[in-house]
Order: sequence, then C-alpha cells, then structure tokens
Amino acid sequence: MTQETVTAAKSIAMRGIAWPRGLRRFAGNGALEILALAGGALVWEALGWGLRLQWLPPFSKVMEALLQFVYRGVILANLGSSLQALVLGFSLSLVLGLIVGALMGRYRVVEKALDIYVHALFVCPSIVFAPIFFAVFGLSDASRIAIIVVYAMFVMVINTSTAIRTVDPSLVEMARSFGCRERQIFFRILLPASLPLVFAGIRLGMGRAVKGMINGEMLIAFVGLGALAQRYGAQFDAAKVFAIAMVVLIIGLLCNALVQILDNRLTRWAD
Amino acid sequence: MIRVRGLSKEFGTLDNGNGGVLALSDIDFEVHDNEFVTIIGPSGCGKTTLLRIIAGLIPYDHGEVTIDGRPVTGPGPERAVVFQNFALMPWADVLSNITFGLEIRGASKDECQAKAIELIKLVGLQGFERRLPKELSGGMQQRVGLARALAVNPQILLMDEPFGALDEQTRRLLQEQLLRLWEHKRKTVVFITHSMDEAVMLGDRVMLMTPRPGRVKEMIDVPLERPRSREVEKSSAFLEIKEYLWDNLRAMQSGDA
Repeated sequence: MTQETVTAAKSIAMRGIAWPRGLRRFAGNGALEILALAGGALVWEALGWGLRLQWLPPFSKVMEALLQFVYRGVILANLGSSLQALVLGFSLSLVLGLIVGALMGRYRVVEKALDIYVHALFVCPSIVFAPIFFAVFGLSDASRIAIIVVYAMFVMVINTSTAIRTVDPSLVEMARSFGCRERQIFFRILLPASLPLVFAGIRLGMGRAVKGMINGEMLIAFVGLGALAQRYGAQFDAAKVFAIAMVVLIIGLLCNALVQILDNRLTRWAD
Repeated sequence: MIRVRGLSKEFGTLDNGNGGVLALSDIDFEVHDNEFVTIIGPSGCGKTTLLRIIAGLIPYDHGEVTIDGRPVTGPGPERAVVFQNFALMPWADVLSNITFGLEIRGASKDECQAKAIELIKLVGLQGFERRLPKELSGGMQQRVGLARALAVNPQILLMDEPFGALDEQTRRLLQEQLLRLWEHKRKTVVFITHSMDEAVMLGDRVMLMTPRPGRVKEMIDVPLERPRSREVEKSSAFLEIKEYLWDNLRAMQSGDA
C-alpha cells in the first residue's frame, strides 16, 4: 500500500468517528501510538504472569534479558557484524535493483527477457537459496550478503520498472519536443517522475533486507543477532529470544524511518 | 514557411502491411511566416497526429513536410509545442518548468533566470515563481506551458488544443492574452482546436479537416481586421464563417451522432 492510501485511510478512519476534541489533539501528537505500545506491554505482562507459559515470559523478564545483553556488551558485539552485512547487502540490492528496474522499465526487450525471472525470484521464498549460497561462499560474509540481496532486490526491481514504465508519456514527449536526448530524458524526466514509486519499493526492500539479515544468520552463519537468536532458541530461553527480536524490531523501525526521511525530502511534490 | 505535400500516415500497420488505420491521407497545405492558422475538424480527423508530425515527434509514411525547405526529421530549435494537458513537470516549480527548454538547449543559469523573469511578467505569473504546478489553476498551468514554449524563442509555435481542457471564461481570457502576445511578437502559429469560435477568433486562416482518413477539406480565409477584440464576434463576417464551419462539421458528424 502506498503512503498516500495509508494516510487517506487514516484520515477517513479519524473522521468517521466523532472523537472528542481533546482526544483528537492527543492522537495527532503521536500519543495514541505510545498509549497503544504501553497497553500492549501491560497485556503482555499480565498474560505472562497469568498463563505462565514457557514460550511467553512476561514483558519485564524480556526487558531484563535485553538490559543484561546490553550491559554485557552482547548486543554491541553482534550488532556490528549484522549491520555490516545489512548495509552491504542492502546497498548492493539497491544499486542492482535500480539499474535492472530502470532498464526493464525503459526497454521492452529487457522487460520481456527478465520479467519472468524477476517475478519468479520475487515470489519464491528467498531462504531456499541459503543452502546454495552456503555451498558457494561457505561460512563467509558473502553468504549472508547474498541472502540479503535475494531478499531485498526484486521488490525494488519490480517497483522501479513499474515506476519508469508508468511515467506520463506526455512528459517524455514534451522533453523530446525540446530536443532532449535519451540520457536527458532519463535524468530530467523519468528519474524524478518515478521517484515516489521507487521510494515505496526501497521501503519494502529495506524491510525485506532486515528479514534476510536475520534469516541468513540463523541458517548459515554463526555470527550476528540471528545466530544469537538461533542459539537461545535451541536452549528454549524465550526471554532472550524475545529480547533479540526487540533489537531487530528497533533496527527495522530505524531503517524504515531513515528511508522515510529521505523520501519526504525528495518527493514532497507528490504529497 | 511550413509546407506539407502529399502527407499520409498509417497507424498500427503489421509487418505484412495489413491491419493499419489510415490517420492522414494526402494532406497538402502551407503556413506562411508569421501566419496564424487554426485547424478544426471532428474527432478522428487526425489533427493532433498532423501537429505531432510537424513537431517531429512521430514519423510519417508518405509525402513531405518541410520547414523553410528543410525536411522535418525530428524536433528542431525553430519549433516549440504547447500541449493540451500542459505537460508540466509536477516536481518542478513554475520557474524551473519555464526554463526547461532553455536548459536543454544549453543556456547559462543567468540567461535562464533573466528570460524566465521576462516571461513570467509577459504571461502574468508574478509571485508564483516558486509554486508547484499542482498549486496553480488550469489557466495558470497553461500559461506556464506557453511561457516554456516562448522561452526558447521559436519561430514556429505548435499548439495542440491548448485551451481545450479549460473552462469557458479561462479559455476566453487566454485567447485574448495569446492574441495580444502574437500581435506584439509575431510568430508562425499552428493551432489545433475543436471550438469554432476559437478557430475563427484567432486564425488568419482556418483549415477544415474531414475524418477517417484525415484530409484537408478546405482552407478558409478569415478577413477580420487585426488587432482583434471580442467585438469581432458580433461582426457578420465572423458569424458567417462560423456558420459555414458548423454546416460542414454537422454534415461530417451526422453519421456519428
């Protein structure tokens, strides 16, 4: 779903209910989100103590495990390795995704040749490639990076090619009427015009890259946050697994915010 | 001078030569320097196709199209197009939209700036330099489109139903503005329209086209004095030509209605 439809849906939902004026202002400040999170934590805490399930430790226990991790430097030691793979893998998929997507969007021949592969790889659960990468690259960082690339790249290819293909043809015609060459049409018309949709793809790609990072580490590498989660999972230490999940969640949200900030700066005209 | 001789254009021809639709057939006409020619005809008469061929945006099959004797093989610096849907870049402000053509043709920053300021004044968009197209009314957007075309100082202005998407009042205001601009700085204008008033009000000559395939039915002289004001709409000559156009257009479209 695009950002516009999300905000549109939000505003309709907000308008549909006769909110008390104070509550509406409260909600506008993002306080509602904080309230929802606090509520969630409370419910979790209550369920944890009430049900006493092995796989559902109370929220406070998870936080305790998390604080211990931070205090002992476990998080920091593993975070670096995970983030390095994430940055490299995501950058690679971004560059490849934009180039392949742009070529597919602009040239019918390229689109026809690659479309089936891109869609097949997009639909296929990327984790099935893990054993192959393991066989090729072994226990190196390259395996993890390759996993991230297959996770993140194809959604960006698809969005970029759709974005380029759906640029208003009258803008291209206008540019040609002023004597633009192919290069100028690309950089002055196609690129800026497709930016909003390209950014939607980058946001999705970022989310998938984080998933790829963890999945890759759980399956083929014995480093990073994923490996840590794998180890505690094997020990049935649910509090620690949840603590790691928290860290991953925060990384995901921060990455998303980063893309969002860039998006807002570059595509304000499309709002 | 624009000269079109024996021009025809077919769309959608298959490799075996079948399946094509003849959009234009055997078109002959010329537009003299500094002349204002309006082209009118029912939808499907290929008037927009004709304009795009003159603009060098699409190729043609037979015949020849020349400008001052040189055959048209693509867009050229002596021509500029004003589009029906304005074709403004939504991410660029008014100033950047106006200077687009200049920048493409390698003008310096100072040159662009100076020219843009001059044109913004000419089309009456002072104070809107930094606005985005979506913040402007349709009439203002098309004034940006017009300024962008004028910025490259073309000898020929090709206008494809430029006021067709505007409401009646705005359209009339822009017609008057275009007339003033043209009186002030003569250019060769080819102006596509589907409004009979517009065709007669603006043109030195009106080219009437028939549909399927598009052919030139007639070139009609408009002997109204210039500069023209709204007053000419009441003159018998104006009404006579309009009536004549309507008789012809009605006959052409009676089968479709």
